Amino acid sequence: MIFFDFDYERADTLEGAVALLARMPGSARALAGGTDLLPGMRMENIKPGLLVSLGAIEPHEPELLADGSLRIDALSRLSSLENSSLLRSKVPMLAESAHVVGGNQIRQMGTLGGNLCQETRCMQLDQKHDYQFVAPCFKRGGDCCYPFPRNKHNVCWSVYMSDIAPALIALDAEVEILGQAGSRRIRVEALFTGNGLTPLSLGQAELLRAVVVPPAPRGFAWGFHKSTVRGGLEFGMAVIAVALHLAEDGNTCADARIVIGAVREGPARATAAERSLKGAVLDGKRLAQAAAEAAKEISPLPHHGFTKRHLTDNIRVYLRRTLAQAVERAGGPGRSS
Amino acid sequence: MEMSASDAARAGIAAGTKSRTRLISLCVNGEWHEVAVKPRNMLVEVIRDTIGLTGTKASCESGTCGACTVLVEGRPVLGCITLAVECDGKQVQTVEGLAEGEKLSAIQEAFLDQGAVQCGFCTPGMLMSATALLRRNPKPTREDINKALEGNLCRCTGYNAIVDAVLQVSGQGGVEPVME
Repeated sequence: MIFFDFDYERADTLEGAVALLARMPGSARALAGGTDLLPGMRMENIKPGLLVSLGAIEPHEPELLADGSLRIDALSRLSSLENSSLLRSKVPMLAESAHVVGGNQIRQMGTLGGNLCQETRCMQLDQKHDYQFVAPCFKRGGDCCYPFPRNKHNVCWSVYMSDIAPALIALDAEVEILGQAGSRRIRVEALFTGNGLTPLSLGQAELLRAVVVPPAPRGFAWGFHKSTVRGGLEFGMAVIAVALHLAEDGNTCADARIVIGAVREGPARATAAERSLKGAVLDGKRLAQAAAEAAKEISPLPHHGFTKRHLTDNIRVYLRRTLAQAVERAGGPGRSS
Repeated sequence: MEMSASDAARAGIAAGTKSRTRLISLCVNGEWHEVAVKPRNMLVEVIRDTIGLTGTKASCESGTCGACTVLVEGRPVLGCITLAVECDGKQVQTVEGLAEGEKLSAIQEAFLDQGAVQCGFCTPGMLMSATALLRRNPKPTREDINKALEGNLCRCTGYNAIVDAVLQVSGQGGVEPVME
């Protein structure tokens, strides 16, 4: 049940949707699966004056481009991604990351673009008004982060929880964005501002059109892990996506991308840990060192009852195991110890 | 129909405008209904309050418990976070649409056999999720069932009896029915 009125228009094309969104800058929102937007409206965290429905626009099937990269329509349902044999074979990490989102109904309804454009979350913010604090927090227009009133820079400490974004960043994917001036393409990393109040770098009347994943280089290996309490139907306490490129010998790391999600205002690259792996032989000790390095550099925000200490430990342990999983997939020497 | 920007302006889209009521058609369990809805009305509200089919339950109303699960065009969706206007012209199946007259569907019988119902509040949603699974995959493994039902919370049964019921209806056992 939503307690305020808003208007509703249905777009037939993405271009039409952009034109409709541009009519009410700041107050119009695009509605795809609605699994994040509508609960947010119910909590009155978001109060748009107009919803532009994309429900009448049929997504294209994932398409293999001439250069070997894969173009996936942003309106693809998550269930179609997890069950796509093309995705399972070409980008298994993306299929896996779609598979762990929410529950079955959420994946049947939610879209790839919607998952990437989800709001940042905070246990205190995502509650009904009755249970909220006496005064509004930053997200509701106030001047304090009530759950963490003395946080270091006095900013909003809400956390971006997408499971798919870390996988896409590890895969070095790009997003195609459609706006009034036409379309532009940016790397998925550039979609995130690192600011909890305005987590996305999208303009007012911009929509995601597609995600483009480049072809996997030789010696590619991946690992993915979502830490949860129950193992289903919940947001992650930390999401770990790892992409390794192994050199010809199969033991040495030519390149590494490590992305940790659900612990900060946007997905975070563990660049120091990546550097420590490059050129190194990936044995268990090296992987453990890299995981410890990443846990130190990420500096997770406490969220949903998990302390910073807990999340740091979680990253250290599960990143080591996820790296070992990637190496094992590639048939290398790494073992979890 | 694609609207140009000026069309949108004529339709009265401006901050503070009260949304207009619209007439939508829903085919619920094979019967077409014309209902007047505001954009903010959710599918579960329309099914329960306007059409009067109260088998579907509204529980958390924020998309976390699955009690309101109905099938829209055969897909299990959460009625509490689906706008009714989004379902205009679509086929909706609710728990009332499972039985044929007095004869319960196989999955409903299996729920009774296995004692998969306690307080019953999650049951309509469980049945719809299970129905969607069995249509897509008539021989699901226990793991498939867990994954398909992960979006439905049950505070009573501990889930095992529910999973057994789905296994029973797929002809893969489950426990022997306890009741005569």
